[in-house]
Parts: sequence; C-alpha cells; structure tokens
Amino acid sequence: MKITALIVGSSLLGPLKHAEGEINRRHAAGLRVAAHNLGAPLADDEWEGVERDLCESEIVFVIHVTDGENAERLIRLLDRHGDARRAVVVINCMPELMRRTRMGRLSFGGSRVEDGEGAATGTREEGRARRLFKSVGAWMGEQARGRGRGSKHTQYLRFVERMPALLRFVPGAGRLGDVKNYLYLFCYFLQPTPANVSSMLLYALKHYGGDARLSKARVPPPEAVPAVGVYHPDADAVFESFEEYRRWHDARARRAGTRTLEASKTVGLLLMRTNVVSGTRLHYDALVRSVEREGLAVLPVISTFMDNRDACARFFVGEGGKPRVSQLVSLTGFSFVGGPAMNDSEAAVEYLKGLNVPLRSAVSLDVQTIEAWRDSPTGLNPVQAGMQVAIPEIDGATEPFVYGGMPGGGVEPVALEERCRRLARRLARWNRLQTVRREELKLALVVFCFPPNKGNIGTAADLDVFPSLHEILTRLRADGYGVEVPADADALREQLLGGNSESFGAVANVAHRMSVDEYLRLCPYAGDIEREWGAAPGNVGTFGRELLIQGVRLGNVFVAVQPTFGYEGDPMRLLMSRGGAPHHGFAALYAYLEKVFGADAVVHVGTHGALEFMPGKQVGLSEECWPDRLIGELPHVYIYSVNNPSEGSIARRRSYAGLVSYLTPPVEDAGLYRELASLKELLLAYRQSADARERERLYEAIEEKAGALHFAAE
Amino acid sequence: MSRPPHEKTAEARDRRVLELWERLVEVEQRLIPTGLHVFGRAGDTRECADLLRAVASYDRPECGARALNDLIAEGLGLGAYEKLLEDKSEQGWRVRANVDEVLRESIEIFLRDGAGRARLWLHENARVETEDSFKVFELLSGIREQLRTSGELDGLARSLRGEYVEPGPGADIVQNPAVLPTGRNTHAVNPYAVPSHAAYARAERVVGLLLERHRAEHGRVPRTMALVLWGLDNIKTQGEGVAQALWLLGVRPLRDSLNRVTEVEPIPLERLGRPRVDVVMTVSGIFRDLFGATMMLLDKAVRSVAALDEPPEMNPVRANVAERVREGGCTAEEAQLRVFSNAPGSYGTNVNFMVMDSQWESADALGDLFVTRKCFAYGRGPGGRALEGREARGALARALSRVEATYQNVDSFEVGITDVDHYFEYLGGVSKAVEQHARARPAIYLADSLSREASVRTLPEMVRLETRAKTLNPKWYEGMLGHGFRGVAEIESHVTNTFGWSATADAVDGWVYEEVARTYVLDAEMLGRLSSLNPHSARSLVARLLEAEGRGFWEAEASVVEKLRDAFSSLEDRIEGVA
Repeated sequence: MKITALIVGSSLLGPLKHAEGEINRRHAAGLRVAAHNLGAPLADDEWEGVERDLCESEIVFVIHVTDGENAERLIRLLDRHGDARRAVVVINCMPELMRRTRMGRLSFGGSRVEDGEGAATGTREEGRARRLFKSVGAWMGEQARGRGRGSKHTQYLRFVERMPALLRFVPGAGRLGDVKNYLYLFCYFLQPTPANVSSMLLYALKHYGGDARLSKARVPPPEAVPAVGVYHPDADAVFESFEEYRRWHDARARRAGTRTLEASKTVGLLLMRTNVVSGTRLHYDALVRSVEREGLAVLPVISTFMDNRDACARFFVGEGGKPRVSQLVSLTGFSFVGGPAMNDSEAAVEYLKGLNVPLRSAVSLDVQTIEAWRDSPTGLNPVQAGMQVAIPEIDGATEPFVYGGMPGGGVEPVALEERCRRLARRLARWNRLQTVRREELKLALVVFCFPPNKGNIGTAADLDVFPSLHEILTRLRADGYGVEVPADADALREQLLGGNSESFGAVANVAHRMSVDEYLRLCPYAGDIEREWGAAPGNVGTFGRELLIQGVRLGNVFVAVQPTFGYEGDPMRLLMSRGGAPHHGFAALYAYLEKVFGADAVVHVGTHGALEFMPGKQVGLSEECWPDRLIGELPHVYIYSVNNPSEGSIARRRSYAGLVSYLTPPVEDAGLYRELASLKELLLAYRQSADARERERLYEAIEEKAGALHFAAE
Repeated sequence: MSRPPHEKTAEARDRRVLELWERLVEVEQRLIPTGLHVFGRAGDTRECADLLRAVASYDRPECGARALNDLIAEGLGLGAYEKLLEDKSEQGWRVRANVDEVLRESIEIFLRDGAGRARLWLHENARVETEDSFKVFELLSGIREQLRTSGELDGLARSLRGEYVEPGPGADIVQNPAVLPTGRNTHAVNPYAVPSHAAYARAERVVGLLLERHRAEHGRVPRTMALVLWGLDNIKTQGEGVAQALWLLGVRPLRDSLNRVTEVEPIPLERLGRPRVDVVMTVSGIFRDLFGATMMLLDKAVRSVAALDEPPEMNPVRANVAERVREGGCTAEEAQLRVFSNAPGSYGTNVNFMVMDSQWESADALGDLFVTRKCFAYGRGPGGRALEGREARGALARALSRVEATYQNVDSFEVGITDVDHYFEYLGGVSKAVEQHARARPAIYLADSLSREASVRTLPEMVRLETRAKTLNPKWYEGMLGHGFRGVAEIESHVTNTFGWSATADAVDGWVYEEVARTYVLDAEMLGRLSSLNPHSARSLVARLLEAEGRGFWEAEASVVEKLRDAFSSLEDRIEGVA
C-alpha cells in the first residue's frame, strides 16, 4: 500500500514519516509513504521519481503546490495517470490543481457534488455540509492565491475546530460521504500535529485505500492546537498568553541566573505555525538557545502568517503600546503583512515604524536541502531568494541569515549551529548599540578610494564625501558619541590625506602598522588568503613586512580608507575569471576594526566599496563566504545613493548592511553655452526670417558654426 | 561634410536647420547633475524648477496625476503631446515650444506663488481645468516640501541606535518621487514581479524604435543581438530591460496563481508581425544575484522560441541552434545557451580596471577579458538542473560571433554613460568581444528612456550628447568644481569613462579630446584651479589625455601635446613639492 504526498516546505515530511511508522505498527498495513518537496522546480530525474511513486500509489496528496512550473507538470502527470481507483486529494493549491481532486464520487473537476444531484432535495445536514464545503473551497482558493487575511485565518481555525462536530451529523454513506471525507482530511491538515497527520493518512486509507483490514480502523477526531501562542523548546506546551509565558520564563531564568524578559534585552521571534504544530522545530530550538547563550531573552511567537500584526499586537506589545522586545526576527519569509502573493508593505512599514523595533528576517532552507545550499556556488535557489529575502526586504528586514533547513535525506529541518551563533552574536552586538551609553561606543567610518590614488579619496557616486563625513561627525558628537570633530571638511581631508602617508608611500595616513604575527593572530582566515595571494603580508598596502591600516582616529571614531581589490598590486589577477579571496591588506583592515580598534559598528560612506563584492555565495552566505567573514559580527550601516537599489541590495544581502539612502545631486537642464548658444541664436534667426537672401547668409554662418562645433559630420 | 550652401536647395537647408535645432534642443533640455550631494543637507537651496518640470512631465497613475504637458497640449486644443513630439517640422517645433513655454511658466508661478496660483494661471492661459491639475501640483508641492528637510542624519542616527529604519524604493526623483524622503533603507524588488505589466507595455515601443533604427540604417532588422542586462534599471523600471529581451525574442510572460512570473509563451509570428531576434544576454553579476528567477525565465524564453517550428528567416534562434548543432561538437541544449554572467561570486568584467590602469596593449585584450569574465552560463542545463554558472567560453564566443548589434537600456539621466565606468566595461566590453568574434564591429545602441520621447541612439551619438551636456558644459563642471577636491576627481572620472568608449568601441570623435584639453588643460586659469583643488586628479586627467593621444584616439597638434606634457610635469612637481 502506498501514499504519495507532494508537499511544499519543511513541516510535513516529519509527520508523514512518523505516520507511516505508526500505521504500520498499529495496523501492520505495509504502508509506504513517498514524499516530494515541490517548492522549487524539480529536475527531470526528480520528476521521474514523482511519476513512479504516483503510479504505485492508491492515494495521492497534493498540498500547497503553487509554483507555476511545478503545477503545470504535475497536472500533466495527474491527467496522464488518472485512474478512478486512485484517490487524489488536493489541498490549498491553485484552482487548476484543485480540479484534479478525485475521491470516490467526488470530483472537483466535474463539480458534480457542488451543483449537481441533491441540490434541491438535500436534507438540512446536507445543506450545511454543502455550505461548509463551499466556504472551505473559497477559503482555500484565497490561500492558494495568497490573498487570505490574518484575522480570517484565525477565524477559520476556530471554525475548523467546530467542524468535526458539525460533520458528525452528515451521513457518512451516500452522496455526501466523499465531501464529508474531504472536509475531515482538511481538518487534519489544518492542524498538522504528528497525530493528526497520522489520522489524515489513516482516514484516507480507511476510505480509499481499498484494503479491508483498514476499513474498520478507528480514526481519532482531529486534535486541536492553539492558533497562536508562545513556543519555547524547554516548555512542555505552547503558552497562550504572554503572561503565562513570562511566569514560566522568568521563574526559569531566575533559577538559571539568565536574562528575564526585559524589553531592552529581549528578541522577538516569529515562527511558522506549521513547524511548531508538526513538531519539526529543531532549527527553532537551536536558534532560541543560541540567542539565549548571548545573554538575551527570547520571545518566540507563532506567526499569524498572513498578517503578523496580530501576533505582534498580542505578544510583542505590552501596556501602553510599549514593545516587549527590542529586535524582531521573522523566520517565516514572505511579507510581514499580506502573505505569499500580497505584499502590503505600506501597512507593514506603518506598523513597524510605530513599534520602532528593527526587523530581521532569517532563512530556513525549506525548499532546498542544506547540502544543495552548501554545494551551490550561488547559495539560495531563486525561490528561496525571492520569497525569503527579496520580499521581506521590502518591509525593511535586514540580516538575511540562513540558520537551518532540511538536511538531504532527512525528514525535518535542523539548525546550522554556526550560522545560529553568528546571527545571535550579531543580534547581541546590535543590542549593544541599543543599550550601551553612547560615549562608550566606538564607530568605524570607512571611505573608499578608487582607483587608488590620493585624488580619489572619498570615492562615492554623487556624494561629496568629506563635507558629508563632517556632517556625520558633528551629528554623532551632538548625539553623545565620543568623537573629536575636525574644524571643517578640509581639515579632515588634510588629516586623512596627509599625516604620515608619504613616509609609507601610502594613499592616506597610516594609523596602525600591523605586523604579520599580529595579522595571523587576528585574522583566522589568513591561511585561505595565503593560498590565493601568497604568504602575508603580500605587496598590496604594505610597508616592508607590515600591513598598513590607513585612516585617522578621532576619539571613539576611526575614519578608515578601504583598500581596493588589489589588481594594481597584481595585474594578473585581473585576467582571472573568478576571484578567490581578498588580499591580506583588505582582511587586515576589518580584523583591525573589529579586534584592535574594537568597533561596535561599521559605517561605509558612499556608493560603493569592495567588501560586499568579495567572493562567496550570492545570497544566503555561509561561514566560508568572504563578505560574511570580513564583516564578522559587526553591525553594518551603509550610506548609499538612493538611485542605486541594485548594488545597495548586494550590500544588504552579502554584508548584512542596513542602508541609509542619500539624495542624488541637484539637477538642471543642461542649457546651452558659448558657441552652442550662439548657434541656437543663428538657427532661431534663420527660422524666423522671411527674407530669402538673409536666410542664405544666415545659413552660411550656421554651417560654419556647426562645423566649428563638430556638428558637420553628424 | 555638407556641401556648400549654394548647392543646397532651400528645402534641404530648412531640413538641415531643423536637424541642428533638434540636436541643440536635445542638449539644452537634457537634465544634468549640477553638483554633488552632501549627506544630511536639505535640497531646498537647490534650483529645482527643471527637476519639478521633469517630474510633472510624466503621468503618475499611482497618485492619479496626469502629465502637465498633456494637460496643456489638450487644453490648447493641440491634441496629444506624444503626437506633437513626433512632428519635427517647423510648425511642429513651434507648437511644441509653445507648450513647453506654458509648462515652464506654470512651474515658475508655482515656485513663486504656490500651487493655487499656478493652477489658476494654467486655467486662464491654457484652459487646463483646475481640478485636472490638482494632483500634479499636489505631487510637486510634496516633493518641494520633502526637499526642504533632510532625514538622512536622523536615519543614520536611528540605524546606529538599533532602531527600525523605514524601507524605501530606489530610483531618481523623476522616475519615482516616492524615493523621498531619503535616509531610508533602500530595497530592490520581488524578482517574480518582473517584468511588470507596465514595463512589458513600455518595452514594446522601445524595441520597435530599436528595430526601426537598425532597419533604417542596415536595411533589415538584426538577426542576432547582444544585450546587456543590469539590476539597476530593471529594479527601477520593474524589468523594462528584461521585457525588451522578451519582446525581441517575441514571447510574453505568464503569471502563476501567486501572481508570479514563472512561465513564458511565444507570441505567434502573425501577431508579432516581424522576425524574432536571437538575443545573447550578458548579464551583470548584480542582476544575476537579484533576479535569479528572471535568469531562469530568460533561459526558458530562448528555449521556448528555439522549439518553435517556424521558418529560419523568421526564427533565427531556431536557425542558429540548428546550425550550431550541425557544425558538431555541441548538443542542442548547449547550443541554446544565451544567458551569460560572471562566475558565481564574481562581479564585473574587469575591463574597466584594465582600461583605468592602462594595463592593455591591444584592444583585443579587452574583448578577451570580457569573454573570460562573462562566459558562465545560467539557466537550465541537461536534465532540467540549474546550471548555476557553468563555464561555457566556447558557447559565448560562438553566440557573439553572430551578433550584428549590441544594446543596453539606459533608464536614468543621473547615471549616464560617462558618469560611471560600468557602461563602457559592459556595453563597450561586449561590443569589443563581438567585433573580435564576428569580425565586424556591431552597431551599438542605447535606449534612452529619460524623456517623454523614448529614443534610441547609437553609441557615438550618445557620447557626443553626454560630452556636450556634461563634460564640456560650464554649468556641469562649475557645479562640480563648487565641491573642490571631489569635483576635480569627478571631472577626471568623466574623461576616463569617455576614454573607455574609445578603448572598447572607438566611439569617441577626436574633437571630444581636443575640446576636453582646451577646456581643462590649455586654459591656464582652469588648469590652475584644478591643480590647486586636487592636483592628483588633475594629473590623472592630463595623463589620460596624453594616453588617448598616444593610443591614437585623437590627433593632437604637436604644440598641444607639448603643452599637455608640460602640464603633466608641473603637476608632478607640484605633487612632490606638496608632499
């Protein structure tokens, strides 16, 4: 006996496999459950596997398949292998797929049950069942099109809790039996606990498996799970209110001597309901523990997916509208308000502005295995990158870390421990910026110089960098940071450009000379760089055996000059099709900022530098990607031209920057000048003149002038 | 050269005068940056009439505002403004000047006396109903208000305090006034939303102009083109460049149940009404990263066209694939590779670095470098698996060998082809590579969608326009020099980027260098200013002119070269003395 489940995401596989074991243990049914994740387009051999499984199955579940390409191929498969004896249960998919549902006498394609027989003669129960069925159908349609709304969602969950009771009155045999069965399966699906998923399969087998042994099996009614709540790995159950959670959390914290729930030290997490309910949450557990290990408290809340404002209002906002958290990490992907296809970023931004808590969005590999991600030179596949990075960004989400995902051959998501730790530490560093007295904080402002010569210090599209720096320093001082502000922009430039630069043949003042020993101690990746660039210190930005850190110290602010890619020092590198690593001098600067200067944050000033373009995955970086290594744990702010969203997005994704946009320069019509202006006068005179001879004379002058202005050849 | 006047008929002279007029108007009305921005400073001290006029020249369906040009043209009973733009006769220019004058005046009244007065004046002078102009002036008032303050330092301060920084779109103000206020966390777009319906509709027109332009000069539409695709314009225009590629191939995008563009459908030839164009796409690393789903879509588009049973003269994709397979040593799957970018994790062609650092002997090195960096294929490979950047040098070289024209969409006046090094490294780079592999220089086009008149220009035309509007224009360079040190670097960078077009595409007239030399070096006073503001960049500028002369990009008189050399050595002295 075989069931094939075509699913999307990371939450159902575990319960399905568990169900297979349970059913075989209890009923010795010899059941095999095959599952395929259809979240991202499949390769041909994977489709062959799907087809094989489908053909061998008595029952096929198709759940949440919304990808256009997959749906199209799947429809073709289902049509090719349509067999009256095989039940096909389609839940929450696009209409074309929904129409492939076929269970006994129920077929969405023919709409037989909906408007055919019995419409006029139905009993009260039948009428009720039909209405229920219709509204469930409509709801699913909305879900599949991603247009469901949050409040409706929770409303439905409540409705669904009552559904089994309603269905009791519907006769199991006869015309409506199959409708009733579909609705039952749907109830189990909506609360995908391991027990419910097991019941869902058993229920389907009982009615459509064609095996006499199971036709008498007793299937428990759906168990209910709270729609929303707070989840913590160490607690026995989900907390339905913040107060309950706090009592439990703070008692535990006091016992263990860990952080209690103070807003300024608490991170709010938004979790996918399906993962919490289905018990596939090892990745959540690890992330929660990683954050706690950094001395922060965690408030992990079940997301109200279609509209997270509900969850926030309920759990993250306390008395007087004050937030109970100081950072928000969404683990759900998609929009904060609106779900998969509706992106109500205006509402999201309005809400988040009110909350004034930064939104981070971390990624679980739900439609790609960890191995596939790790081996991939590009990182996240397009589906993950779109749904879990690009869309959350529109709401202002930052720090797109991959923190866990499905292991190849595994049945539930696991954590990427190192990524969890890195993300947690970054949250802790951000928390420092939120809570530590400003005069104690150290900031690095990094400017660019490209191509590298003194004339280009302060390279930035459309930005006059030194006056900008001066404005920034002045503001920082006013805000209480411990910065020494030079008299004016020119003084600042002279400090940076001049100083001791000449004695080292450097572009800018040398603030620190890093010995090779110090560098090797501070830069854990130096070995990888040596494979590319030879032994440290190399010959880019060095003086003898020392690496030059260029910049000036202004109290608690360090203004640094970022080295370039280093092609000048090694022209052969230009000709290589791919880069392998930054040069030693580049790595040395960031090691210096983090570990010698002790920066609490780094601000890159102007569009754009080289850090975010260093080799590595394109999005969803690993610990082996250079931008990830270089920025390390430092909070990163990037002052970026508003007219360059493309390169700016690379900085957001690959170096975890939060951008602060700047205006583009004033613009005016070019106008005409000098001889161009006199040519125009001549042309105008010609056009206005009615006198043939004058026009001829003017024309001569025009041709002469046009020639002098190089218009002749055009 | 033109013939002497007496040999020209009066009609020919009139035509020539109007042509010149058009060239001048094109320069005169081009929006240029007149300085640099200082972070945190408000924009209210700026001259903003031209900006507002440009903003008011476009329909803004998102806020219900109609373009003022249209309202005025209609009010004056002149019909659609678009039609006026097409009329290049004497009469046409007069009518157009009339509308432009009313527009200009109304903006001035707005700036002086406010929206109410401007709307009233428009009603009295151009019969524009005051309610019709309400929205557009509301928009302009909003922009003006937002330019009065700057939220940038606040945004930075909030960010450093670990607070929420509001997101915002990225574009220039004319394209999308919603970029104001700045100081926000700029975002890209959802790749699955690209191309938008609007972008796809606009692209049809540009592609029409592009093919028309080529047909006018070469007698037929190109069979194969190379396109440069960037993230920059495709984010700001919601995928106009992508849509142009789809139109050239003759396919339309389809949306799935989540409203995501995941499929394409060929447009039947009878509906397309022209042959399809085979398109080789060289894609920036940034586009590759930000538009992963779109890369797949473009690949799918090529494959769907290759699969159509159509005559070879109408479907060059299919014909080229068949020919390639017949040649042997190549599977059909491989012969359909058309989407190329950098190796994963790498960005850029490095052609710009090579040019700026003068590390090239012959121009072939630049074309080779382009191919080396960009020969990684994306899309779907054997078995339907994602290619993720498979090295395919042969495939790119072979695809480029058929190219007759290269093209890039330019969407913004703020990032023009001499403002940054990236245009010449991409469009110049691919053109040079085509020249090598096809053994003929391709026609090189740029679409310029920054005015109401969407236009397609050849590269040399665009270089001349940029040179006249910016590099040689006192309004531009005095604006830059107002920023001292950084301004000189900016001027130098323009000269180098112009030089890049000589190096990669030989697209710069000699007079451009001559005039640059005359403006910045031979004018002693100017040279003095540059030298004292930023001797390092002044030296680079002079060196670049000498390099251009040395490489034969212009033929300078001996005395000019002499003066350049003198300037260079005195700058050297100055820098060492300064040190």
